[in-house]
Amino acid sequence: MSWDVFFQQCVNGLTIGFIYSLIALGYTLVFGILQLINFAHGEIFMVGAFAALFIHALLGALPPGPLNAVFFLPLVLVFAMAVCAAVGAAVERFAYRPLRHAPRLAPLITAIGVSFLLQNIVMLAFGPTDKSFPDLFPIHKFPIGPGGAGITNLQVLIWTVSIGLMAGLHLFIRNTRAGKAMRALSDDRDAASLMGINTNRVIASTFLLGSAMAGAGGVLFGLYYNTVNFHDGYLAGMKAFTAAVLGGIGNIPGAMAGGVILGVLEGFGAAVISSEWKNVFAFVILIIILLIRPNGLFGSRVVKKV
Amino acid sequence: MSSINAGRSRSAASLSLLLALGLLGGCASQPGGGTEASLSVIKIGCAAPLTGDQAQIGIDHCQGVQMAVEEFNASGRLAGTRVEILKMDDQRNPAQAVNAAKKLVSDPAVLGVIGHFNSSCTQPASAIYHGAGMTQITAASTNPDLSKQGFKTFFRVAATDDVQGPKGARFAANQLGVKQLFVIDDKTTYGKGLADAFEKEAAALGIKVLGHEGITQGDKDFNPLLTKIKPLQPDLIYFGGIYPEGSLLLRQARALGITAPFMGGDGIATHTLVELAGAAASEGTYATMVGGDMKKVPSAAAFVTAYETRYGKLGQWSAYGYDAANILLKAVETADAKTRAGVLTAMRTVPSFTGITGSVVFDEKGDNQNQFIGIFKVTGGELVYVGPAE
Repeated sequence: MSWDVFFQQCVNGLTIGFIYSLIALGYTLVFGILQLINFAHGEIFMVGAFAALFIHALLGALPPGPLNAVFFLPLVLVFAMAVCAAVGAAVERFAYRPLRHAPRLAPLITAIGVSFLLQNIVMLAFGPTDKSFPDLFPIHKFPIGPGGAGITNLQVLIWTVSIGLMAGLHLFIRNTRAGKAMRALSDDRDAASLMGINTNRVIASTFLLGSAMAGAGGVLFGLYYNTVNFHDGYLAGMKAFTAAVLGGIGNIPGAMAGGVILGVLEGFGAAVISSEWKNVFAFVILIIILLIRPNGLFGSRVVKKV
Repeated sequence: MSSINAGRSRSAASLSLLLALGLLGGCASQPGGGTEASLSVIKIGCAAPLTGDQAQIGIDHCQGVQMAVEEFNASGRLAGTRVEILKMDDQRNPAQAVNAAKKLVSDPAVLGVIGHFNSSCTQPASAIYHGAGMTQITAASTNPDLSKQGFKTFFRVAATDDVQGPKGARFAANQLGVKQLFVIDDKTTYGKGLADAFEKEAAALGIKVLGHEGITQGDKDFNPLLTKIKPLQPDLIYFGGIYPEGSLLLRQARALGITAPFMGGDGIATHTLVELAGAAASEGTYATMVGGDMKKVPSAAAFVTAYETRYGKLGQWSAYGYDAANILLKAVETADAKTRAGVLTAMRTVPSFTGITGSVVFDEKGDNQNQFIGIFKVTGGELVYVGPAE
């Protein structure tokens, strides 16, 4: 493998890896607080892509121009994140909260039900076919090597937005009162509630945050691949879940790192071995990590940290 | 993982079934149905992917069938009988195709089926239709092995991949002057079969095959594979597969700076490929198709006009669905007994059929003896007919 191919595979892997990271955060945040695997989370990501498609259609098909990245994209991102946050919070309120004290399996099954529901709602609203996702701005490629390896402005944008959002989330959880309450809840929910923390509100805001991240991931995914379909949430959700487990589920920096590692490893696996095994490779990594480090790469022995 | 996947697909399928039942119920309860009650009802199935990434191609196909059925009913060729269409969604998934086939054979009013679309779906479903003695005509499944199973119930209108693949290879060698190429397939019965047939003939013609790799249907990221292909500098990249992956491959290849043209089979010969990939990325892409340009065939003119008035742009498979349905309807009309066995006997005895896409003559395996392959090229954002593939 030449250096050129190596650089290009790194760029590709990092790009999809950042999108995995954004989705993985939602799995990890919810698991950290509720020990619940929110299997509807992949669908929230898909809803984000369709929300972006919707607002784009609503504002009229704008001609792709360089200024869109500055003015229009933030609007699309904020709208999609808001829609996803609302959907995520609603799912928590109506599907998970009534089952808060039910056996662990019950909310897991509700999660699968919710994911069917969301898929079918989107299918009925937007149709069953692949939808073309518009380019918001012209794609330019910047060379990074002598042999034609390059990085596009879209890839730079995906990296910037992802890193920005993840840094923001990290600071929020470290430095705000709400973040402190989340950390308290993940340490001990009963004790936190005895200290006067409104647990329902904190759980709702956790869903809100995680879903907003997935919504941003959905927009970036749509921009990058240019087609979206109502069942796109499934595979992306499974990959992101793998990334969350890889990094140590419940661990926020772990989810970020897990996504990027998975994206890059998957790319190199496909390049070195064969692209036929690309998806298999992702799940083989998961199994190996679980065998060697059952709590993930960055997970502590007792997985209770947010 | 597979069990979760299957569960999801089932739910979507049952939802669409419910919707389909709702629609049928709605039709039946329309006012003014006093005389309709006395009509006996014959059903024909239309099985194709109606939801999911390949939905457009399946919808195109079933709309062609729908028009044939409605024209048949309006013509009153079969007095006292109304033909209904029963649409089944196989989601391009072999397991769903089996479910759809089982549902169709369990309804005694269904006398025949047009479908499926993907060869990987047609293959398992054909065994079920065979078991039930029900006529199956596929308009689109092109894998040559399908007609070698010895099923007397199996018929197909489309030319097979052991003709389509080599003709595409000859076009690449003779007309495009390709010296070295890379082959990608989607690992399905159709995609791999077509790509293998293409590769074999290309190698025999002296074209250097730089590599042959598979991708997964439903995947979105093909950058790792394309990054690997780029430094090999092929003159042509051949893709055995369907347009959802085809359009993503095109976009991602162009973004990486790969300028080599793409070529594929009937699975990418649709305007949806251009819509999804964009005119710029898909420009210059070649596709072999099991027929010519429907818009230039005089016999299809009336159908094309009627179709476009009703549904918008003509789908690449609409006319083939229409022809396949007309063949089945003719068998229903001429059958002595309006039963599955009667229809099958009629299918086996009808010598030939002249449809809007050309003549159809079935051999004893159920294959169409008329194996014409045309070449299309994306030019200025439109899929333009170039000529016969040679």
